[in-house]
Amino acid sequence: MPSQDVLPEQAVSTPSAARPRKPGRGGASRRPSHWWVPWAFAAPGLILFLLTTGYPLVRSLQISFYNWSVLPTQASTFIGLDNYIRALGDPQFWTSVVNAGVYLLMSVPATVALGLFFAILLQKKMPGRTLFRVLFYIPVVTSWVVVSLLFKFLFTTDNGAVNWFITDFFSFSDHAVPWLEQRWTGLIAISLLGIWKNLGWCLVVLLASLGGVGEELYEAAALDGANAWHKFVHVTLPGIRGTLLFVLVLQVIGAFNVFPSVLLMTNGGPAGSTEVPLTYMYKQAFSFLDFGYGSAMSFILAIFIFIVSFAQFKFLGEKKETLR
Amino acid sequence: MMKKLVTLSSIALLAAAGLTACDTGGGGAQSAAVSTLSSGAAVSGEITFWHAYSAGGGEIKALENTVIPNFEKLHPGVKVKAMQIPDKDMHQKLVTAAAGQSLPDVVRADIVTVPELAKIGVLTPLSEAMPDFQSWADKMFPGPLATNKYNGKSWGLPLDTNTKVVIYNDEALKANGVASVPKTLDELKAAADKVGGKYILAEGGSGAWQMLPYIWSNGGDMTDPDVKKSSGYLNGPKAVAALQMIVDLYNKKAIPGVILGGSGGTPTGDGLPKGMYPTIVDGPWTFPNMATSYPNFHPQTSPMFSGAGGSISVVGGEDIVMTQQSKNKELSAEFIRYMLSPDAQKAMGQVGQLSAEKDMAETMAAIQPYYGAFLEQLKTAKPRPATPQWAKVDDIFTKQAQLALQGKLSAQEAMDAAVAQIDPLLAQG
Repeated sequence: MPSQDVLPEQAVSTPSAARPRKPGRGGASRRPSHWWVPWAFAAPGLILFLLTTGYPLVRSLQISFYNWSVLPTQASTFIGLDNYIRALGDPQFWTSVVNAGVYLLMSVPATVALGLFFAILLQKKMPGRTLFRVLFYIPVVTSWVVVSLLFKFLFTTDNGAVNWFITDFFSFSDHAVPWLEQRWTGLIAISLLGIWKNLGWCLVVLLASLGGVGEELYEAAALDGANAWHKFVHVTLPGIRGTLLFVLVLQVIGAFNVFPSVLLMTNGGPAGSTEVPLTYMYKQAFSFLDFGYGSAMSFILAIFIFIVSFAQFKFLGEKKETLR
Repeated sequence: MMKKLVTLSSIALLAAAGLTACDTGGGGAQSAAVSTLSSGAAVSGEITFWHAYSAGGGEIKALENTVIPNFEKLHPGVKVKAMQIPDKDMHQKLVTAAAGQSLPDVVRADIVTVPELAKIGVLTPLSEAMPDFQSWADKMFPGPLATNKYNGKSWGLPLDTNTKVVIYNDEALKANGVASVPKTLDELKAAADKVGGKYILAEGGSGAWQMLPYIWSNGGDMTDPDVKKSSGYLNGPKAVAALQMIVDLYNKKAIPGVILGGSGGTPTGDGLPKGMYPTIVDGPWTFPNMATSYPNFHPQTSPMFSGAGGSISVVGGEDIVMTQQSKNKELSAEFIRYMLSPDAQKAMGQVGQLSAEKDMAETMAAIQPYYGAFLEQLKTAKPRPATPQWAKVDDIFTKQAQLALQGKLSAQEAMDAAVAQIDPLLAQG
């Protein structure tokens, strides 16, 4: 029987480590012949993963090397790297990557900073704290489709609420801004939605991490005469550095994968100027039946995300070990 | 640990890639023989029917409460499962279903998608499968019927047809100082100058569906008659002038920004009754929708603005098609026949669906007075170029038209760039 202190995920990632480790404190239950036990525990999840993620991943990698026909009964031709070369030379693909980058720069720093700000605020004991936490989290669990349509109405040119504030309420301008009908204002509207929707998630994760920073560190800092800002910079930030990195990396990956908000708010238009990689891929695959091309672009994007994430770990995560 | 995980997963990935790579290629092009169906045979069983009828004006109610129950009554023991797919998702849904071999039996497909569906091999050619095909084809107006042709065969039959006419809000026109609705493109331009900075016309997009009526009415065209090339047509002087006129109106703010894609502005079907847009160019389906949402508004119609080419609008509508995968082709054919019968056509006619059958014209005109304008317009209306590449062609055209509207390219430059991309596609067939 399995010993209780071996977690399945540990077992999966280091299957061979189970054997030569120190004899369990529990006694003689761990025997070398039971190498399959962790695998057995991992199997249901692993099989599900392979079926729902692994297989489609491999299949789309395969498709990316083909001029793929939609019907399984029709022949697809192998064209090697042609789809990849085509994507790298496609200005619309690069526009979509640049737009994702703009979205990233407009939304991720703001989301993480605001998430941290409100997390610190909501960590303090105050009346209605739970209510605020719930309110911040509501956008996170609401469907992307619903909030995208909501924001689309807010930013409607003729009688959207945002333009009402600009023209009637504050009278900043006489003219309504055609938010969703041009590139930069469209990207701003989409980014604002991204910030609003993701803020709650950052907040909750950071809140959990803030709770883990030792109270004694703050007391020690106070004894050394640190003010609130010093405490924040020298105690709080280092204390949650690992979590902050985690939040940042996931938000960056999320920004590259922005999709439903763009599809529903601007549909990549006008003239493809607000297209992002996923909407462009989606169009290639499902509107033009060019599945090979769409798949190739998705792998280029995956490589891109991998490099960016790796760089983030490399440059931002170096002091992580000492501060854990 | 991270490193190990990456190595492990990449090995797994490569191994799996090697395994699945073997089954690629498939068994060559589809060559299923088309067996002729009998007509009038007893039918039984169950079929599925996909459509994009709208819920707003009562189309779905008519289908589900009248048409399908009546068909099931005529053929006891038969069941038709109808599924509504939103119009904009239909194409993608059909494609994924085709790839996953999970297509329904019968589909009400937008006329522009039929050649493409035929090309990728998901349809049964009705001209070969239905022994009575010709008798049905003879009933149809030639324009809608032609949208079913691809590769010398007919893949469907016109279920409904439509076109667009000028629909106007008389009060809004008068309030803006325009005495009567513009009849020609020149009058439209003059009216735009007169209202100075106010909207005269709204178009909900800049695709071929919206722009071709202006191009045709101005005497231009998108492609040659055989749909083999667009150069010399779409970038010809008359087509470019028509587009330039729209661009000018947009720059004068006589046309609202909703033309750039329709996601940020008030939809034409709302702006007209609200008095924001004095005129729009739209189809018969908009009447039941407006009647539901704006019961006090009385829309009026006028033919498409005429120019050197006449008053030419675009043919829209849907064809009814049968899929290759249908397990019950006899029942599917019988359902198609019923959908084209006077009973069903009349029931759908009452909720805004114009019949494409010649002998239904009088019945249609009697059902709704506003049908008259559309039936009249249909006499000269043209279909969009029939090509399996339509989705791409339309996307290229839309994008270039938007670049012209945004002032990034002149209308001439935009259309020159469009034909350079469209011609290679048309050459593929």
